[in-house]
Amino acid sequence: MVLMVAVALSSLLLSADPKGKLNIVNLTTRTGGTRGRPRAKIDQIRVNFNSTADLRPLFNWNTKQLFVWVQAEYISAKGTQNQIVLWDDIIQRKEDALLNLRARNEYVIHDLSFKFAGASPLNFTLKYNVMPYVGLLTYGEAATTTKPIPFPKPLEK
Amino acid sequence: MPDLVQMAMGIGKIDFEGQKLVEKVYQIALAVLTLLSFVVGFALQDLRLTVGLFGGGVLVLFIALLPPWPKFNEHPVTWLPVKRKLEPKKQK
Repeated sequence: MVLMVAVALSSLLLSADPKGKLNIVNLTTRTGGTRGRPRAKIDQIRVNFNSTADLRPLFNWNTKQLFVWVQAEYISAKGTQNQIVLWDDIIQRKEDALLNLRARNEYVIHDLSFKFAGASPLNFTLKYNVMPYVGLLTYGEAATTTKPIPFPKPLEK
Repeated sequence: MPDLVQMAMGIGKIDFEGQKLVEKVYQIALAVLTLLSFVVGFALQDLRLTVGLFGGGVLVLFIALLPPWPKFNEHPVTWLPVKRKLEPKKQK
């Protein structure tokens, strides 16, 4: 047990704080249904982004895997802060941690009120979670967009 | 039934000096093994190595310390000679 505690503590010595880049290539809205509700009228956004980040320093002997995701943040018309995950991935090998992504959102992005009207511009961040073999989970932020991006106007009324 | 118990108690018996020796050996061995496993694994950044080394070391310790090797029976207890039961004397 002493051994396990020592291993867990060693992660503190070996921690890293890698940074990368996140760019939004394309952001569009549509109003329509989702797979579960095909006839609803729900405001949704579709995001295409690319990102480079070298997360390899996060892999040490005590790292089992990394959970990486991109989230969008905005303040809704009602004033509530919202964070939505667009995309995520599990990285289990050090070699795979050299990220060079061109992707779009994996999940449907909509507001709880189903409308985006009146919402603040969006910020996007690339975050990670280090899962050790022994020890505490740690979190970090690898990249963020520099300028907030407003919601696109709907294409037609 | 008591015979079975007596028989079971006879398996794996080591004397008290033997027990003291075993205790000293495993305390030191485990401390050294823990340190060694950590250092080797950390240096080579390989957790599997640490766990494997530790596990292997424990197995070796089991083989060296669990069976009642003759080494642990070199100081058997010297029991007092058996006294024959006296006939109960009639009080009156």
